Amino acid sequence: MKKLPLLVIGGYLGAGKTTLIRHLLQNSDGLRLLVLVNDFGSINIDADLIAAVDGETIALSNGCVCCAMTGDLYYAIGDALDRVPRPDLLVVEASGVGDPARIAAVARAEPELRYSGTVTVADAQSIGSLLNDPQIGAQVAGQLSVADLIVLSRPDLSDLGAASDRISRVSRAELIPSLHGQIDVGLLTGLQPTSSHSACHADHNSAFVKWSGHINDRVSPERLDRFLNEIPVGVFRLKGWISLPDHTLELHRVGLSTQKSKMLPRGDCSLVAIAPSGRFDPAEMQHAWRRMTGEE
Amino acid sequence: MSDIAVYAAKKILTMDHNQPTASHVAVRDGRVLAVGDRTCADPWGGGRLDDRFTGSVILPGFVEGHSHLMEGGLWRYAYVGFQDRYSPEGELWPGLASNDELVARLQIKDQGNAVVGWGFDPIFLKGPSLSRDDLDRVSTDRPVVVLFSNLHLLVCNTAALRMAGYEDALDVEGVMRDGSGRPTGELREMAAMFPVLRRTRIDFRDLTAGTEVLHRFARSARRAGITTATDLFSALTPPDIAATSGIVEAEDFPIRLIPALGIAGGAPEGWIEMIEKLRLMSGEKLRLGAAKLMTDGSIQGFSARLKWPGYLTGAPNGMWNMAPAELREMISALHAAGIQMHVHVNGDEASELVIDAMAQAMRGPGPRDHRHVLQHGQLMDEAQFRRAAELGLAVNLFANHIYHFGDQHYERTVGPDRAIRMNACRSALDAGLQLAIHSDAPVTPLSPLFTAWCAVNRLTASGRVLGASQSLSVQEALYAITMGAAWTLRMDHEIGSIEVGKRADFVVLDEDPIQCPASNLKDIGVRATIVGGRVFE
Repeated sequence: MKKLPLLVIGGYLGAGKTTLIRHLLQNSDGLRLLVLVNDFGSINIDADLIAAVDGETIALSNGCVCCAMTGDLYYAIGDALDRVPRPDLLVVEASGVGDPARIAAVARAEPELRYSGTVTVADAQSIGSLLNDPQIGAQVAGQLSVADLIVLSRPDLSDLGAASDRISRVSRAELIPSLHGQIDVGLLTGLQPTSSHSACHADHNSAFVKWSGHINDRVSPERLDRFLNEIPVGVFRLKGWISLPDHTLELHRVGLSTQKSKMLPRGDCSLVAIAPSGRFDPAEMQHAWRRMTGEE
Repeated sequence: MSDIAVYAAKKILTMDHNQPTASHVAVRDGRVLAVGDRTCADPWGGGRLDDRFTGSVILPGFVEGHSHLMEGGLWRYAYVGFQDRYSPEGELWPGLASNDELVARLQIKDQGNAVVGWGFDPIFLKGPSLSRDDLDRVSTDRPVVVLFSNLHLLVCNTAALRMAGYEDALDVEGVMRDGSGRPTGELREMAAMFPVLRRTRIDFRDLTAGTEVLHRFARSARRAGITTATDLFSALTPPDIAATSGIVEAEDFPIRLIPALGIAGGAPEGWIEMIEKLRLMSGEKLRLGAAKLMTDGSIQGFSARLKWPGYLTGAPNGMWNMAPAELREMISALHAAGIQMHVHVNGDEASELVIDAMAQAMRGPGPRDHRHVLQHGQLMDEAQFRRAAELGLAVNLFANHIYHFGDQHYERTVGPDRAIRMNACRSALDAGLQLAIHSDAPVTPLSPLFTAWCAVNRLTASGRVLGASQSLSVQEALYAITMGAAWTLRMDHEIGSIEVGKRADFVVLDEDPIQCPASNLKDIGVRATIVGGRVFE
């Protein structure tokens, strides 16, 4: 059966996780999403909307991650895997003090799951003082340090430069400002909604950059390895396939984590990268690609 | 007139200072009618003498103020721990001192598809770590899984590793490997354990609820002389309670059960609403309406929040399970709603935060007779006890930790100076606090006499005395496992002592705990319990 991609949404209380999830549910036309949240009441999705997006949210009453006494979250993920048909994407909201990496780890351990990224939401206005808090600062820094992508909420009210400077001291992840949870669903999930009429899609094109490459040829393993090391900073997602002399590898990269698996052999290479606009330079990506494919 | 039974005993220790000892107790309608000598029931027209306990000593039934129903659930698997343990059926499961003994134990169990052991704790074992190779001697085709006592780790055999795809997978966090990169069979933390648990159908959710779990838990409790026990961090919601109530209220169910609803964050209003609903579903034996809050983790897991200077190893400070700001808000809201709170606080930064939060809550609306309880309070110092007393808080200290983890605390976690005042029962009483002591079963075995033994002797597993100046007298320890715990459950007017009008909840012991050497306290046999006048032998 097809692997179920798992996306973890982390971030401290009030950072904007719920707003982001609500936006995701409202703009994921045609995608079957299953969302595990800590507090169902807070999502406030009406039944019509759930039917429209064919998604579903399940609330977890016991978010305690300290003692494996319950392990409720993991068993809820197991229940999601057992659903027929399987959802296209499983989104898990970590608790406000939870370590998203603990949840993400199950996607690397469980053969039927595929890791699809950790997105940590930070309130641009309060993150600085939160990180300096002697009681909770270290835990919040931990949530940021394990992120593949950091979504900065409330950018309109904040000094974005100060917030990103402060965050960059604890995390290497790319930052993307997002007003009212609006962010491109393809960037966030690695999946494309089937219909692209969603209202905010066009508005936010400028917030991320896409790059794609294709050749009708195979490359050597050495060249692939070099390419993987040369991928410029800022690429959040990269997916596609690379044909080597004797087999073809399916490639999924999110943040700095790359997963390779064998697929039906082909004779070509094809990759799509997506990155928040900012540090990422598509020309640099193109350069690395052409070095691999021998076009340079 | 209803039937009056008069129980004769070698001695009755009442825990009532007006009449500390007696020889007879008369019971009518499930309550204590009279206490004294053989004539005590005469003013009521006399009663039927029941002399089956004349050679025994009767005490108020023990009250376990901090346990979890999971104690009942785990017994569906084979016990493989280091210490002797009795099953709910009263069968002795001798402790296992080596990997060979563990392999032998698992070979005798047939549990269908997977072979599962629980309660394993390697800190007590010498020699090489338990590995897949050991468990392959149990079976090469069936999956074999050994759960650690803390449930954060497991060891499994090759068949189980293959089911989870771990033989081929490279670099999965929590999958331990030897020098050559071969998985050892040890899996750490839930994420790595889950693929094996899922494929062997070990579902922790099934271990904390349901008919079988309730009955097993109650039988375990009864064997230990317990007549009232808690389930502190219950996940029961109103729909589940109807079924639970039917089981617990039945006459043949041998304990009173006090679940406290586990609260893990979110909006206080929803929790308050649920607790008010639950409260109305209370019966004579099932009592609802309290809440349990988590704060930090555990000291031996280095996840408890410690004040300066922190962990001896220099490990980073622990983790909050609820953010301090959220805890303060939750505590104020629940206090204002008049809901009793049991709050998990292991490290001293956690206990301090909760004391501060309680003080803040009590400046606002809320009842004076709140009876909030600090649970574990393992590193509380005298200043914190004094502040707790000022606020009317009680403490339920984790006496069993002294034995089970005391050596680790002394050598590794906090060092001798703080270890000798962990679970400081003496200081708590001296500060004027109501004191209970507990097992946190299934973390340590359910046995109040053992818990009392720990509080009196303060011996660690290696035989070290951990802070003799914090020892309780036997009388004080017995009070803590009866009246002290009853107070923390708001039931001291009904249970905890043998007094006229209280419920006839007794434990019948083979020996007098006051007379026997304090070092033998844990070995006293439990002959029977009586709950609401009904005898369970």
